[in-house]
Amino acid sequence: VQSIVVPAGAGWRTRPVTHREATAREAEFARLFEEFSTPIYNYVLRMVGDHDRAADVTQDTFIKAYRKLDTISEAASTRSWLYRIATNTAIDDMRRRRMVSSMDDTSPAFANRADERPGPEAQAMAATLDERVQRALLTLRPNHRQCLLLSDLEDMSAQQIGEVMGLSYAAVRTLLCRARGEMRQALAAEGFSR
Amino acid sequence: MRYGRHDHFEELISASLGGELTDAERTELDAHLDTCDACRATLAAFADQRRIVSGLRHVGAPRDLGARVRAGIEGGAFAAVPWWRRPAVLFAGVGGGLAAVAGALLALVVLNAVPDEQVGDATARPTPSVSVAATQSPPPIETAPPSATPAATTTPTPEATPEPPVELPAEPDVYLAYTGPFDNLVLTLRDGVSGETLHELPVQGPPVAAELSPNGQFLAFTTRRGQSGLHDVWVIHLPSGTVSSGAVPPIETDLAEWETVELGESMAGSELLEHMAWSPNSRWLAFTRADVDGAGTDAWLFDASTGATQQLTTDGVGYAASWIPVASEPSQLWISVAGDEPTSELVVVDESNPAECCGTTIGTLPVFQPLISPTGSHVIYWRGVMAQQGAEWAFVEGGAPYIADVQVVAGATELVNERPLFSDVTIDRDAFVSAGIEWGADGDAYAVWRVEWAGIPQGSQGEYPAANRVYFGHAGDERELTEDHAIDAADIPEDASVVDVKVTTTRHLLVTASEPVGGVMDAPVARLLLVTRNTGNVADEVAQIRADVEGGWFGPPAYDADPRSGRD
Repeated sequence: VQSIVVPAGAGWRTRPVTHREATAREAEFARLFEEFSTPIYNYVLRMVGDHDRAADVTQDTFIKAYRKLDTISEAASTRSWLYRIATNTAIDDMRRRRMVSSMDDTSPAFANRADERPGPEAQAMAATLDERVQRALLTLRPNHRQCLLLSDLEDMSAQQIGEVMGLSYAAVRTLLCRARGEMRQALAAEGFSR
Repeated sequence: MRYGRHDHFEELISASLGGELTDAERTELDAHLDTCDACRATLAAFADQRRIVSGLRHVGAPRDLGARVRAGIEGGAFAAVPWWRRPAVLFAGVGGGLAAVAGALLALVVLNAVPDEQVGDATARPTPSVSVAATQSPPPIETAPPSATPAATTTPTPEATPEPPVELPAEPDVYLAYTGPFDNLVLTLRDGVSGETLHELPVQGPPVAAELSPNGQFLAFTTRRGQSGLHDVWVIHLPSGTVSSGAVPPIETDLAEWETVELGESMAGSELLEHMAWSPNSRWLAFTRADVDGAGTDAWLFDASTGATQQLTTDGVGYAASWIPVASEPSQLWISVAGDEPTSELVVVDESNPAECCGTTIGTLPVFQPLISPTGSHVIYWRGVMAQQGAEWAFVEGGAPYIADVQVVAGATELVNERPLFSDVTIDRDAFVSAGIEWGADGDAYAVWRVEWAGIPQGSQGEYPAANRVYFGHAGDERELTEDHAIDAADIPEDASVVDVKVTTTRHLLVTASEPVGGVMDAPVARLLLVTRNTGNVADEVAQIRADVEGGWFGPPAYDADPRSGRD
């Protein structure tokens, strides 16, 4: 049995491991949160139409993003990746609340609720412009609303919208046109001219 | 909604608002608008609409959103991790522009710094005393350097009779799976035979390594962190009955059932780096981490009885190797020191003093990363000149794996009859840079994969040695490994990369082979292949575990020390 020989190249010592050092994962997530938390919150808010629910959905979105952080392989696609998670989370939330039955639903989400509301003129008198636009948005089919918001609120290209929604470029163009047509009618019902 | 002859032009109008028209489409639309009042009205309406939506009031996110996210992460992903082991700096990388959430996040960082202070670090602890071996129980064996020349004339006369070869079932006890849609991938532990999900693991990333403790009580595994080049090392405590093992008794542990402990992150690297080894008594896991800042590699030790992890070497040249396969206390671990002339040191682990367990070296060998067979009768190790390459060390000249027999005579252990593992490769000044090496439980069969050869290919039937082939040999085969010992090329899908190999029996291998990374929205894919090795002109037989599932990442598998055990 030899006495201990601590070689020049290595000597041992002991210490408990702490996790004090910032890891690349945490730094990346912090950057994501800083850059996207407010835009995602606003996008979700327009999707679900309620501040508390938007906060819940945004919270869930970033928790999912943290857990899936290692699935990002290209920085350029990070935005699409995050919005896709947010969209799916918002859809799940609406589905749970029986607001939609399916993303492929062919009937307007609020088709049966329009009659319960005051007439267009009364609504227009009582609401701010922001509220009226939000009400119009909520009458759209969920995939129309999603497509329109990604285009006009988030200023995404058809290519980027396709990444978020899992659609081809051509399909996005068609869907966006239909969304605009539906929104035109919805805005008219809220008292907007044209 | 109105659909009519204007549909085509309405789509062009819609696309024009986002600047998505081609020149031809723009010309076509302009010509139409000159003659169509309805479409001009549509253009005006769509343009107004875009202006209205884009002008919607922008509101700030709730001030407590950061805190809520943090709480959600801790409540889910780290629910099973004691507070004092959680990452402390989830938001530490936040820059100065966080504005509304900065206050909440700062509070979180401070909050999490407290546990670290309570745990303490190296500066707060006394320097471990360096005790001499005389204060330890005499080790059960002593090791002398191997003879410099192959002891062809030496006839080993082992005192201890090697255990008879055992026949393992081909199926693993358990395997890992990372499956689901790309934005909802879930890492699960599966039963090795039925494929039944045993547990959903609270971590993310495709698994690239897995080792069950000999008693089946703990599973160590490594996950890949996207394309970042980082790996995370974990251990999960499996409840009694998950994997039964009569060979080694369970140990007392502070870890709750299914508790998952993060052992740390490491740069991804060669198989030399990613080797993990459980002690025979299932208490200790030795592993290696490559510093993310390029400070080199160091050996680490995880104590499954307490859940604590400690760094064994600190100079950036340490590697975990293997344990002396004797389940008596104290446990003894080979730790390797990389460099021009790599060596390995045998360290006694003080079982009664985990905080200062590893201050005693009782022997050295002029070899790198000795991997002792489970029966203790053979050892495979490396020789050659090493140099630091990136975050880790690699062989750059004369590097090659060797195999030797273990001879125990009158209480003294010697390594004899050393011979190159690849008997038909001329090394000279070339080098095997690295390779993965795995012993089978019978102590005879072994596999070598992910071979990185820095020299001119020497094969007569194609590239050899080849990184994408698996070489399957037996210590009792005097030829060791040759070009003919590669399993069939067709066993592994073209373009796939071998991630992990387990030797299941004298004829069977379990190979985890990953597919090339697809698009950003694609989930990672790996197949778990059970290869039955045939010789001569008979093709190997390959069965894919969970071949009924499209896509998904299956593997690596793991076994405990009991070759006949399965799940209860």
